[in-house]
Amino acid sequence: MMLENNELLKIEALSIQFGGLKAVDQLSFTIHEKEIFGLIGPNGAGKTTVFNCITQFYKPNHGNIYFRNIKDEVINLVDLKVHQVIRQGVVRTFQNVELIRELSILDNVLIGAHIDYKTGVISQALRLPKAVKEEAIYKAKAEEILKKLGIYERKDMLVFGQPYGILKKVELARTFMSDPKLVILDEPAAGLNDVETLQLAKTIRQIRDDFNCSVLLVEHDMRLVMDVCDTICAINFGKFLAQGTAKDIQKNPLVQEAYLGKEEHDE
Amino acid sequence: MKKIKIAFKPWMGFVLFGIALALIPLLAEYTTFVKSSTIITIGGTVIFAIAALGLNILLGYSGLISLGTAGFMGLAAYLSAYMTVDLGLPFEVSLIVAVLVPTLIGVLVGLISLKIEGMYLAIATLAVSEILRKTFEEFEFITNGFSGKSARFPQLLGFIQLDRASTYYLIVVVLVIAMLLTYNMMNGQVGRAFNAMRGSESAASAMGVYSLKYRLIAFALATILASLAGVMYVHFIRFAYPSTWNLKLSLDFLAMIVIGGLRSIYGTVLGAFIVFAIPDLFLKQIPFFNQLSYVLNGVLIIEVIMFYPSGLINIGFDIKRLWLKLRKGIHDAGK
Ligand SMILES: Nc1ncnc2c1ncn2[C@@H]1O[C@H](COP(=O)(O)OP(=O)(O)O)[C@@H](O)[C@H]1O
Ligand SMILES: [Mg+2]
Repeated sequence: MMLENNELLKIEALSIQFGGLKAVDQLSFTIHEKEIFGLIGPNGAGKTTVFNCITQFYKPNHGNIYFRNIKDEVINLVDLKVHQVIRQGVVRTFQNVELIRELSILDNVLIGAHIDYKTGVISQALRLPKAVKEEAIYKAKAEEILKKLGIYERKDMLVFGQPYGILKKVELARTFMSDPKLVILDEPAAGLNDVETLQLAKTIRQIRDDFNCSVLLVEHDMRLVMDVCDTICAINFGKFLAQGTAKDIQKNPLVQEAYLGKEEHDE
Repeated sequence: MKKIKIAFKPWMGFVLFGIALALIPLLAEYTTFVKSSTIITIGGTVIFAIAALGLNILLGYSGLISLGTAGFMGLAAYLSAYMTVDLGLPFEVSLIVAVLVPTLIGVLVGLISLKIEGMYLAIATLAVSEILRKTFEEFEFITNGFSGKSARFPQLLGFIQLDRASTYYLIVVVLVIAMLLTYNMMNGQVGRAFNAMRGSESAASAMGVYSLKYRLIAFALATILASLAGVMYVHFIRFAYPSTWNLKLSLDFLAMIVIGGLRSIYGTVLGAFIVFAIPDLFLKQIPFFNQLSYVLNGVLIIEVIMFYPSGLINIGFDIKRLWLKLRKGIHDAGK
């Protein structure tokens, strides 16, 4: 067995190189079931690249990414194509929100249920009862999630023109449509104000409990990370620096030097 | 938040629209300023709208360009003419074969679309279309070459012989069904997948949309509608020349959906009327315009892209908004 009992995702000696640049270098860490795991590091440290490797947007040059999927089998995500990853129970958001502007908020969230549809083109074209029923089920589910995130009233509005905070929430809502085991959030608090960030911290914890999933998040906002994460892994120049609880990380001199220290100087 | 729902369903809209279209030739008969040739023009427009609807699925919803619509339409037209006239096959059989064959080729083009995008896809589809057109010129035993291939009005179930008027009604029925099915598909999971492919490739793949599958579906749907239009064309106009299926026609389809409205089903039909029917019915009388209809299309496209990027179908909303604003202005001024 590649994974211990309560381990969900294990990254093993992950490396990826762009030209001469080692964006991720021999990185390893493990995420447990129901854990909120934070990945931190200065700008350009390679956090987004790690996410892209896990979700197969990038193929790593070396390393393994073991994952206990929804069928409780342990698989290596590296063997999959990008569109197959969500079926295993891994779903993500993007640092620069990726939504379909011309669709309503509800329709955007419904895209998150894409893989769950059983009916085909013909049943949908003919609106056969099973297709109508299926659509109604996922619509109800999407509305439920939108209510939880407090944006239900906007469900029929177009994504185009919505404020940034709302867009972030729509993306978050979309991830929960697929009943994931692991949700990967790339800077979910970027562009949010303090009140919204606090609210987001609460939402992330509530969501972990409601949906029974693990969360892996990258965040610049240290308050959010320190506040919400059970475990934090710090990286710099694609390399592992330290791992531990918020307190451990804050005390770690390597991290202070690479990240916290710099941030304090900036302020 | 349950409001009392008006029992008006989208399909009723399409049916009403179809009935309105079906009434046009009758109106033509009872008014004097419209000639009897009007039914040919309107029928042709409705046929073009069917093909344009397919292109709207491809370009509007899925973001995949094609300049091959005319070639596929022509292929279906010739196949159906050949099978009904030369082989004596029933209309229904010809229809099925004449839709299936181009669709298979269309799906192959869909495969190409995985490797090339945008401008290059446009050129590749144009190349396919031009090869088809050349084939129409060369394969005289099927197409009768430059002399043109003739066909008959459809005979349904082997004994219901249609005439011009009833063929027109058949065409309207086909359009209404195409609109309805397109509406259903585009407002469900498949349509959202198309939208995701166009709107954000990253989001699409992260949400599990297998782009190969949906590209193939998009190309298949577009080719099915183009082929249906081709079959209707040859059995309504009862003639097909190789020169009909040229780049200009493919560009006309593009003009129809851009002018009418990308991702708008009614807009597609509106676009077909603006691009095809209006010049043919009204502007042709003016000798100057006859020569310049393509310039008119170009100017219209530029105007629409600049001022109505979502298509002329939305002009109604804007007029309404302007009216509300005006009314509010008058109201405020009155206070
Ligand atoms: N597709 C790519 N091609 C070339 N370089 C890349 C690519 N993606 C990321 N990088 C580089 O890898 C490094 C890490 O980037 P990234 O993962 O986005 O950092 P972070 O998310 O931690 O801010 C940066 O130097 C970036 O320029
Ligand atoms: Mg990043």
